[in-house]
Amino acid sequence: MTPATSLGDPAGKKTAKLFEGARQERRLGLLLCAPAAIVMLAVTAYPIAYAIHLSLQRYDLRFPQQAHWVGLSNYVAVLSSPFWWQALWVTVLITLVSVAIELVLGMALALVMHRAVFGRGTVRTAVLIPYGIVTVVAAYSWQYAWTPGVGYLAALLPQGSAPLTDQWQAIGLIILAEVWKTTPFMALLLLAGLALVPEETVRAAMVDGATFWQRLRLVVLPLMKPAILVALLFRTLDAFRVFDDIYVLTGGSNGTGSVSILGYDNLFTALNLGIGSAISVLTFLCVAVIAFVFIKVFGAAAPGGEPERR
Amino acid sequence: MSSRTRTLTSWGVANLIVVLYALFPVWWIVALSFKDPSTLGDGDFIPREWTWENYRGIFQTSEFTRALVNSIGISAIATTIAVVLGTMAAYAVARLRFPGKRPLIGVSLLIAMFPPISLVSPLFNIERLLGLFDTWTGLIIPYTTFSLPLAIYTLSAFFREIAWDLEKAARVDGATPWQAFRLVIAPLAAPGVFTTGILVFIFCWNDFLFAISLTSTTSARTVPAAIAFFTGSSQFQQPTGSIAAAAVVITIPIVIFVLLFQRRIVAGLTAGAVKG
Amino acid sequence: MPGIRGSRSRRLTAAAGLFVLASGLAGCGSSGPGGPATLNWYNFPDDSGALQQAADRCSRQSGGRYTIKYDKLPRGADGQRQQLVRRMAAHDAGVDILGLDVTWPTEFAEAGWIREWTGTMKKQATSDTLEAAVRTATWQGHLFAAPYNSNTQLLWYRDDLVTNAPGTWTEMLGQADALAKQGKPHHVEIQGAQYEGLTVWFNTLVTSAGGSILTPDAQAPSLGPPAVLAARVMHDTATSVAADPSLPNQMEDQNRLAMESGTAAFELNYPFVYPSMRANQPELFKHLRWAPYPSVVPGRPATVTIGGIDLAVGAYGRHPDLAFEATLCLRDRENQLTNALKGGLPPSLRSLYQAAELTESYPFAADVLAALDNASVRPQTPAYQNVSIAITHTLSPPADIRPESTVADLRGQIEDALGSKGLIP
Repeated sequence: MTPATSLGDPAGKKTAKLFEGARQERRLGLLLCAPAAIVMLAVTAYPIAYAIHLSLQRYDLRFPQQAHWVGLSNYVAVLSSPFWWQALWVTVLITLVSVAIELVLGMALALVMHRAVFGRGTVRTAVLIPYGIVTVVAAYSWQYAWTPGVGYLAALLPQGSAPLTDQWQAIGLIILAEVWKTTPFMALLLLAGLALVPEETVRAAMVDGATFWQRLRLVVLPLMKPAILVALLFRTLDAFRVFDDIYVLTGGSNGTGSVSILGYDNLFTALNLGIGSAISVLTFLCVAVIAFVFIKVFGAAAPGGEPERR
Repeated sequence: MSSRTRTLTSWGVANLIVVLYALFPVWWIVALSFKDPSTLGDGDFIPREWTWENYRGIFQTSEFTRALVNSIGISAIATTIAVVLGTMAAYAVARLRFPGKRPLIGVSLLIAMFPPISLVSPLFNIERLLGLFDTWTGLIIPYTTFSLPLAIYTLSAFFREIAWDLEKAARVDGATPWQAFRLVIAPLAAPGVFTTGILVFIFCWNDFLFAISLTSTTSARTVPAAIAFFTGSSQFQQPTGSIAAAAVVITIPIVIFVLLFQRRIVAGLTAGAVKG
Repeated sequence: MPGIRGSRSRRLTAAAGLFVLASGLAGCGSSGPGGPATLNWYNFPDDSGALQQAADRCSRQSGGRYTIKYDKLPRGADGQRQQLVRRMAAHDAGVDILGLDVTWPTEFAEAGWIREWTGTMKKQATSDTLEAAVRTATWQGHLFAAPYNSNTQLLWYRDDLVTNAPGTWTEMLGQADALAKQGKPHHVEIQGAQYEGLTVWFNTLVTSAGGSILTPDAQAPSLGPPAVLAARVMHDTATSVAADPSLPNQMEDQNRLAMESGTAAFELNYPFVYPSMRANQPELFKHLRWAPYPSVVPGRPATVTIGGIDLAVGAYGRHPDLAFEATLCLRDRENQLTNALKGGLPPSLRSLYQAAELTESYPFAADVLAALDNASVRPQTPAYQNVSIAITHTLSPPADIRPESTVADLRGQIEDALGSKGLIP
């Protein structure tokens, strides 16, 4: 058990205890992580490996006997296809714009929720309702609202315009639907981060004469940085894989399809498992690049990367 | 004095704007659910004629009620498991030193990033082989798996911010480890845990892809998938009224859930800030 | 920290217990030995009760040999296909009878997912059945499904705006133009969104012009001048005053709503619009009339694309003979009549169109039959989905079509689609 120490050597005993403590800590750490790790790996290892395996084959589900290995030629086909690049830039556009808006709006919402004057519970719940509504239903309600003759929002537009049929307008409406739906997600994470900002520090700054904006910029935001980065990271990852809103609002028509819609069409409609899987893997790689950028460049906390406070 | 009232009024106005912005489109769904099929296409924001017909329609068969029960049960169980497992893992990641921490985070991020459309078919095949297709477990397992990364990440971000010295101080003051945890750490961890709980629950509640692919009958079908089975008076007509009614009905549990748990966040907020 | 472990482990045990319980409840398939076999029938969802009634009736008539369990598929055709494809690709034995949209039997047959109909079964499945419907269920000379219900489009118009129904598209657009000048409702409602309905429209126009999308052996695109003419008609419609501003986003239901809201004078749609307007707009309904689909070439009647459902027998089910028998029962005269009256689904049996009960509810039955007798079928190839997507992608939005170059573009896209090469948009 404990390593041998020289008789009655207090320093040695302490090292021994430290060593033993470290081992116990390791064991406890692994034990606590094991269930989560086992669940995640057991469920996703085979599907992810299978998807990658499929992407290296020419496999049309309707002709299963003709499936054969083609190496990277599916990837070449995808990367040389104008459809992929069109879908990619639409996706990037939607992601950048919607996340930027959501960050600002989410911050504002978090501040309001934090300092709700009346009916705190009501305000917070009201803000979270958009996030809680089933996405496809919300998308249907937007589609109805923007259809000329049927919807109340379309009635506000000049006669004869059908915004969902024009590429730019439709993308704008998709962004609107996305922002409305998921800003609460950002707001919630930011609110929780806001909660961890010590009141004293803020009050001290107020005493020192800082205005609201100065307090926000110089005290609150820097202290919220870890929470902001977590929120941004997950929201960007999700925004890049936007699907439901586009599917319902335009079906990806008129050049509004994202990479997820492209993957869905090739996988489920054309039943081309090889190409569909290749699109999925490429989407995943793009998302991985984003995550990498966030973690390495912006320093989003990869938990456990910094020395723990004791 | 006047500046204080000004601040209060501006916050009050901000509150009002926020509530309106959030609820405006929601009202549109509510209005659609009360509209008669003949007035569905008139674009009125407030229905001219109100009817309960849509609500009566969705409760006529047991399908929707079954779907509600399935949704509540599956989401609740999956959330509980995900939060429990996630808390354990996040605590370890934030507090303890052990090998394999980086790979764990890496793997969980990888899972969060991989497009689920590619994973649905292999999962379907596995579940068929294991006899889990069209069962509660068949949905609980994927939901737990895919919400764990978010749970672990959020919770560990929270746990890192907690000053653990408080726990030590409490123990020095004579508290048992359990008391130290219950009275000092738990309240500080509460905002993170309940935030994660809300997010995971909503994820499970709203999921459509897994629900439609891994079920085939009402024994496990959840509400988002059940909506895809609603019919209008003919195969071409979109059952907008029924869908809107169903949307209102299924949002109510969310509202209750959020109302209950957001109070915990408040409690955490007022108790939580480190008081030195 | 033992306290936490305790409560956590209690929760985990409860979860594990639930797991075991749920697994135990899973996997109840066909009945055990001795009892009647359970045949699982997967079909589009029907709330009118007609399909459930058919299933019950046929189960009773089997004399205890089988019971038919009617399982619903999602409302949208894409969702239905996904579910069926996923299960058949996994060789699922739990699918006995499939309700297939008329464009799927070719695909499913080629993949080996449905069984061929031969001998007396084949005779019974095709007797008294509409010829175009039988064609949709045939692939390479073999019958793979039994036509269930049918569907086709008519021209609906308002007689308070239009005195004589137009015979051709040019006439119709001219009448719409005249109405527009008088400031009256003048839109021509047609499905112009980027989806299957657009392929239906294109197919109708091309075949009405005397051509076809694919060659008879379905190995290459045919197109040619008829396709250019069809493309021109679509372009003209979309750019004239007759076009609804939402045309590029409209499906059948949006067309119906627009017609019911009173902004349209003409509508090209399925018969479901008739009972709907009767229920929703009784005033407008008084003026609703119908006529055959306008032709493209004067003097040459239009060949409208046929729609509907075919019933097929799954290749991996455990009781194929019973499944064939059950399918024949599900589509027999009595059940198709119930479907028509209760569920609003036009039958595939010719003789039913003369039945008194049908003509009472559907005064336009004779016109529907005439259209069905002269109907065209969408391209029959296992790669149909790819071809359809190539068509809808190239022809969207209809206002941007430039007839010659668009058709040339389409030719290349269809060639790629047939070889299932590359990505689909």
